Amino acid sequence: MKSHHITGILWIIMVAVICYVTARSFLSMHQTEALHPSHFLTTQNTLSAYFSGLKDSPGDTDVFVFESQNPGGTLLILGGTHPNEPAGYITAILLVENLGISQGKVIIIPRSNNSGFTHSDPQEGNPQRFAIEIPGGERAFRYGSRLTNPIHQWPDPVLYVNPSGQRLSGTESRNLNRCYPGRERGFLTEKIAYGIMALIKKEKVDLAVDLHEAAPEYPVINAIVFHENSAELAALASMKLQTQDIEIRLEASPPNLRGLSHREWGDSAQVKAILLETANASHGRLKGRPTPSLILDGKDKNYVKAAKLGRLFVPFDEKGIPLRQRVSRHLAALKALVASLEELHPELCIKLENIPSAAELQKAGIGTFLKGQK
Amino acid sequence: MQIIYHIIVFYLTVHFIWYMFKEKKFWNQLSAAIVLIMLLLRLLLIK
Repeated sequence: MKSHHITGILWIIMVAVICYVTARSFLSMHQTEALHPSHFLTTQNTLSAYFSGLKDSPGDTDVFVFESQNPGGTLLILGGTHPNEPAGYITAILLVENLGISQGKVIIIPRSNNSGFTHSDPQEGNPQRFAIEIPGGERAFRYGSRLTNPIHQWPDPVLYVNPSGQRLSGTESRNLNRCYPGRERGFLTEKIAYGIMALIKKEKVDLAVDLHEAAPEYPVINAIVFHENSAELAALASMKLQTQDIEIRLEASPPNLRGLSHREWGDSAQVKAILLETANASHGRLKGRPTPSLILDGKDKNYVKAAKLGRLFVPFDEKGIPLRQRVSRHLAALKALVASLEELHPELCIKLENIPSAAELQKAGIGTFLKGQK
Repeated sequence: MQIIYHIIVFYLTVHFIWYMFKEKKFWNQLSAAIVLIMLLLRLLLIK
């Protein structure tokens, strides 16, 4: 055997070892975190129960239903539409694990784009996970991608014409919040959107809220984005938040921006449609090194500098915008929306219980309200 | 579509392995090995 054949064999062994280690790391992202619903949970379902086209697909996801004996309105909460926006899905998970209900019905989907949780955005250097300290240990959560995993949906079209007729770049075919109202026989992401629409119609949802985050340099930030059928509701909720010293801006859903939850839920299902945004430094283009602490603490010196230069749409100082603050903002906005819904439509009253206040979250941290241990 | 993708990646993988054993220069072999890592992960649809 010649010497270059021996080195060739050695390289093959090295390739096999690196592939094994790398593959294990990539495949660990496909393991779903266990959730521990509160004892008020009525039913745990999957999205495929509403649209069978998702059965046994990577787009199927858990649906948690909390229903009271007392009739009232129905609220749908979506987290994880974009799995790289942790305040959205951590808020949803916190609700699943704590929520009590004494009137009406609440449906929560914490990982709306389940496929997006199975991979990270290429070339971003994002951590795969971040850990939240809980009593007696810590609990890890995946930090996924904005888009569906290309392993599950491939190839991207050059130009994507979404179900509402809007022309977008090809990668947006994997963005759940561009695919509404979905297609029964479309791409996987369109099927997820179709399943969520089927749920909204079947459960006769009155108010649907999509939880998001955005970069501090993005203009639609710390905002309630509302469909025109929810303008009064959003305005009332905004006033309630301002009385709690929570500044939130109102953004009307542009009628010509198609395929988004706050547009198509309202148009296709006549549901009151709201999207909430908080400011996440780990999501932005100006951020420094993306680390789990950037996700949790939200501190970044680049953003401090950008704020001093007046380049941001939110205040940003050395204290940063930590996850607990972003989650408490989402929770406060949800409570304000539900209270406003009751004021405007008393027959749609939803009584939520056991939701931590902003002050409790600030003081005790998110982990105090999360169960289990990893 | 997935079968076509697999065929293309498999074809390239075999060629890279063949090239690696045929090539006598150490650094050229290493270059082929590095590319092979990505091809194998793609072949196994691991992301």
